[in-house]
Amino acid sequence: MESKSITKRRWLLGAVYTGLSISAVTATVPFVWMLLASFMTRGETLRRVFAPSEIQWKNYLLAWEEADFGLYFENSLLIAALQVSGTLLFSLLAAYPLARMEFRGRDIVFAVILATLMIPETVTMVPNFLTVSWLNRHSPFAWLNNWPALTVPFMGSAFSIFLLRQFLRGIPLELWDAARIDGAGHVRFLFQIVLPLCRAPLLTVGMFTFIGSWNALGWPLLVTNTPDWRPISVGLLQFVSEAGAEVHLQMAGAVIATIPVLLVYFLIQREFTEGISMSGLKG
Amino acid sequence: MKKDIKEEAIAWAFLLPALVVLTAFGLFPIVYAFYVSLHRWHIKKAGFVGFDQYVRAVGDPDFVYMCLLGAALIWLGVRLRAKLEGDGPAPSLFSRIVPFVLALPALWLVVRGLNGLLETGDRQLYNGFKVTLFYSLGTIPVQLGASMLLAYLLFKSLRGKGFFRLLFFLPYVTPVIASAVVFRIIFSPHPSSLANRFWAFCGLEQQRWLFESKSVAVLLLQACGITDYPAWVNECFPSLALVSITLYNIWVYIGYDTVILLAGLSAIPRHYYEAAEIDGANAWQVFRNITLPLVSPTLFFLSMVAVIGTFKAFNHIYIMRTPGARDSVDVVSIAIFDQIFQYQNAGYASTLAFVLFITILVLTFLQNSVLGKRVFYGE
Amino acid sequence: MNKNITRLAIGAGLMALTYLVACGEAERSTTVVVDIEQVDPSSQEVVFWYQHSRQREEALVELIEEYNRTNVHGIKVRGEYMGGYDDIYNKMSVAIQGGTLPQLVVAYQNQALAYFEADGVVDIAPYMRSKKWGLSAAENADFIQAFLQQDNNKGVQTGFPPNRSMEVLYYNVDWLKELGYARPPVTWDEFADMCRKAKAQPFSKSTDKEHSLGFFLELDASRLATMVFTRGGDFMNADKTAYTFNTPQVRQALQLMQDLIREKAVDIVSERYMDQQEFGVGKALFALRSTSGLPFFKSAVADGLDFAWSVSAPPRQVDDPVVNVYGASLSLCRTTPAQQLATWLFVKWFTQPQQQARWARASNYFPVRKSTANELKEYLAENPGYAAAFKLLDYGKSEPAVQGYQGVRKMIADAMVDIAEGGDLDDVLSNLERQANKTLERF
Repeated sequence: MESKSITKRRWLLGAVYTGLSISAVTATVPFVWMLLASFMTRGETLRRVFAPSEIQWKNYLLAWEEADFGLYFENSLLIAALQVSGTLLFSLLAAYPLARMEFRGRDIVFAVILATLMIPETVTMVPNFLTVSWLNRHSPFAWLNNWPALTVPFMGSAFSIFLLRQFLRGIPLELWDAARIDGAGHVRFLFQIVLPLCRAPLLTVGMFTFIGSWNALGWPLLVTNTPDWRPISVGLLQFVSEAGAEVHLQMAGAVIATIPVLLVYFLIQREFTEGISMSGLKG
Repeated sequence: MKKDIKEEAIAWAFLLPALVVLTAFGLFPIVYAFYVSLHRWHIKKAGFVGFDQYVRAVGDPDFVYMCLLGAALIWLGVRLRAKLEGDGPAPSLFSRIVPFVLALPALWLVVRGLNGLLETGDRQLYNGFKVTLFYSLGTIPVQLGASMLLAYLLFKSLRGKGFFRLLFFLPYVTPVIASAVVFRIIFSPHPSSLANRFWAFCGLEQQRWLFESKSVAVLLLQACGITDYPAWVNECFPSLALVSITLYNIWVYIGYDTVILLAGLSAIPRHYYEAAEIDGANAWQVFRNITLPLVSPTLFFLSMVAVIGTFKAFNHIYIMRTPGARDSVDVVSIAIFDQIFQYQNAGYASTLAFVLFITILVLTFLQNSVLGKRVFYGE
Repeated sequence: MNKNITRLAIGAGLMALTYLVACGEAERSTTVVVDIEQVDPSSQEVVFWYQHSRQREEALVELIEEYNRTNVHGIKVRGEYMGGYDDIYNKMSVAIQGGTLPQLVVAYQNQALAYFEADGVVDIAPYMRSKKWGLSAAENADFIQAFLQQDNNKGVQTGFPPNRSMEVLYYNVDWLKELGYARPPVTWDEFADMCRKAKAQPFSKSTDKEHSLGFFLELDASRLATMVFTRGGDFMNADKTAYTFNTPQVRQALQLMQDLIREKAVDIVSERYMDQQEFGVGKALFALRSTSGLPFFKSAVADGLDFAWSVSAPPRQVDDPVVNVYGASLSLCRTTPAQQLATWLFVKWFTQPQQQARWARASNYFPVRKSTANELKEYLAENPGYAAAFKLLDYGKSEPAVQGYQGVRKMIADAMVDIAEGGDLDDVLSNLERQANKTLERF
């Protein structure tokens, strides 16, 4: 009896690993090709060879210099840092009342927040530019060609608010009630008790905001005129010209652009492991 | 009472920062788009035309009224049936006949209305909706199902799960410009493209992938040797080009969904699992009775976001569009883009955008009423 | 209570914002007729938005810096990379509606028309005609008139050409010799014969003798334009009021392609730049492409089989050669009279032969003034492909420059797909004509 269930378990485990491996391969093949292509010559990318005959390290040097990657990198980091902090703060603050507080108009506000997600970006760029332009004229500091235009419009992220609200609603009621009985006010409750519980969702929101900010292209192009505040995505754009895309350089640039994001993900992905230990709560 | 007002004040204070930003950069554009859609507008406003552009987009208003009337009758029928059946223990003949009597003309109205709209409205817009629908239905179930499975597997103690998690997330992390270009190369019609090589490896004839505007159903029939088929086989199924783009979307978003689900799974307090173990539940029971309900808010979130996202989808579709695919991959967002950049017509583009907005709004509302009730919020 | 007040506040805020935006448009100044002769352009700053990147941008910046150093008026030009053509259009749209306009912008003809309609750019003709600042009769005659005409819509010069490209026939000299021909095809019939022969007899150096044909047709309106122009036809009628696609020239062009595709002597381009690639490895005898692709063809052949190749005028059915010439132009934005004049002076300088020669060498574009040939003697000697195309500049013809043409281009591409797949010419072309003319109604 015992051995039968062990073999069954082993068989199941084996199947799981095979399935995962196949999926993993499918997930990474394009990225692998991208990596390989970044080391090819232009001719090789056009001939679609599997691997470059010679590793063209110079592609990376060229991509870095030609597209001003040093400056753009800095800009991307700064913009991302600002956007992530702002978004996390605003979204958590907004998600809290939407999740667990009772007040009139709560559902309508939530519906309206969601509605802002539903309009395609192509038509939001113009009115948003007009708003930012107006703010530029009537503000003590510059909005255009500066960090405010690049970060503030995204700090009211309906997506982040929605995600955090779902998580907060999933936290058991007992927790809320227990704290309230103890006499905690909302602010204290939010920052002392709820915040630590929300590490995984907050990190998730932070990471997705980071990625969104890192890869944004249309909006940064619109609100910047000079390279001073341009992010890395604009740098990548320069390898696409009218008479022929230089795939090998584009790929090298893309790899350079992807590495920081992977780093960030790698650093925080450990947070997704265990569930929250609730010991001491029932007491 | 005083406490309630204080509660409300705090609630609004918390909401204020996000709301200010959202109003300026999220709501205002919607109002603006509506304003623009009422005018002839290339780069600058050039004349008020009221709802003319909406009529051009959606079709003759008479047909719109027909559809609405039909929908109202159906709703009435459903409500009546519920009310009548709620009275007695068993459904009577009366309670069945009345809704039925209402349903027939209602359905006729809706069908006639839709038909009329398709004929008098903008073909590009309706084609856009059809393509968007195929695209949505193709990606969302696969995405969600696969990522739920993956998230669950990666959550449990499994060796190398950190490594696997990194790999699955790679597609989402890569800039779209790069990964879409790579997919364009993989799914190119050239005989030496990866897709064709793989297809040849499976013993099948090479395909034109992103360049193929014929529907997958037609290709299947052709592979079986059938060359005579009615036109609807081509019209009512997605093209191979669209399927290729759908595969790309699934590839990108499985990682994304998995990461979010993992976060959701991590937020489930351990003591639930411990209690279940003590009770002697097996893996499937734990999954069904504890994990699934407790992760349902996250799943609900993902499905909503997926619907909104796929209906708005643009970037990668634009990169992977080829002349050969004709309009079989032109989702509504692409029609909007074309109006602005190919016809320099911002007014009509805003009309289409607003129609899309209303559609997504209605869909989300429906989704919420149907699925929202099944979400378990820990109460 | 609180919620209602907040709702009202939000609503009011929205309305205020909308009102402000609507008012913002009124701030733009109305047309004031200014005497150009009296305007003083000294020390003006000119902001120039373009899509050039990398090497081309470097060359352009060098030219700009030289102008800043050497011009007598103290005019300072500043160049800014603004993304691709669509990105620039987006930026101009918002700038016209409520932002700050640059002084000079790169725009395609149909975009310039939209800008002009929105009062974003001004008519350049008065500047060209000005006694003090304009072009002399000799200078004017030196310009290739067809290029100036392309940017002229009913007497209004909405743009000024800084450079042009044209569509030429790239051909494999060695392979042609093997097939028994000493020169490239002059007529479309000769072209068809050569394609058939190429299919039957692959290039001796090719490593893939299974796949060999004459030509990969790109499903793009510009290719069709070349085929139609070289038969003496056009896409529009004489006074440019309607599109004409169901004409003998268009039919002949597409019929020939359909036949050749059926015979497998021609195939369609199914992946961007594959025609360049296949040409480079000797699997296609010809390619029909823009001259701005010359350096890419050079590297494709060098990476490939390294054979002798050249360019010529496309095959034709009329006496003189005809080439499809295209390119974006420079538009003068509506700013202040002094800035506009300063901008014109920069454009005038940029289109002088010495600068044109430098720009041509660096960018691979073609100059718009005939006398530039004198400055380019060495370059022409070193680059036979470029030189061969240079001689064709006088024979240029261009595609329609009306609003909405971009959308019609897509319709044409769709029609080409239909025909390549064996569609009925009559049906497809009359449909195309009808749909294209519908777009004209909207303007």
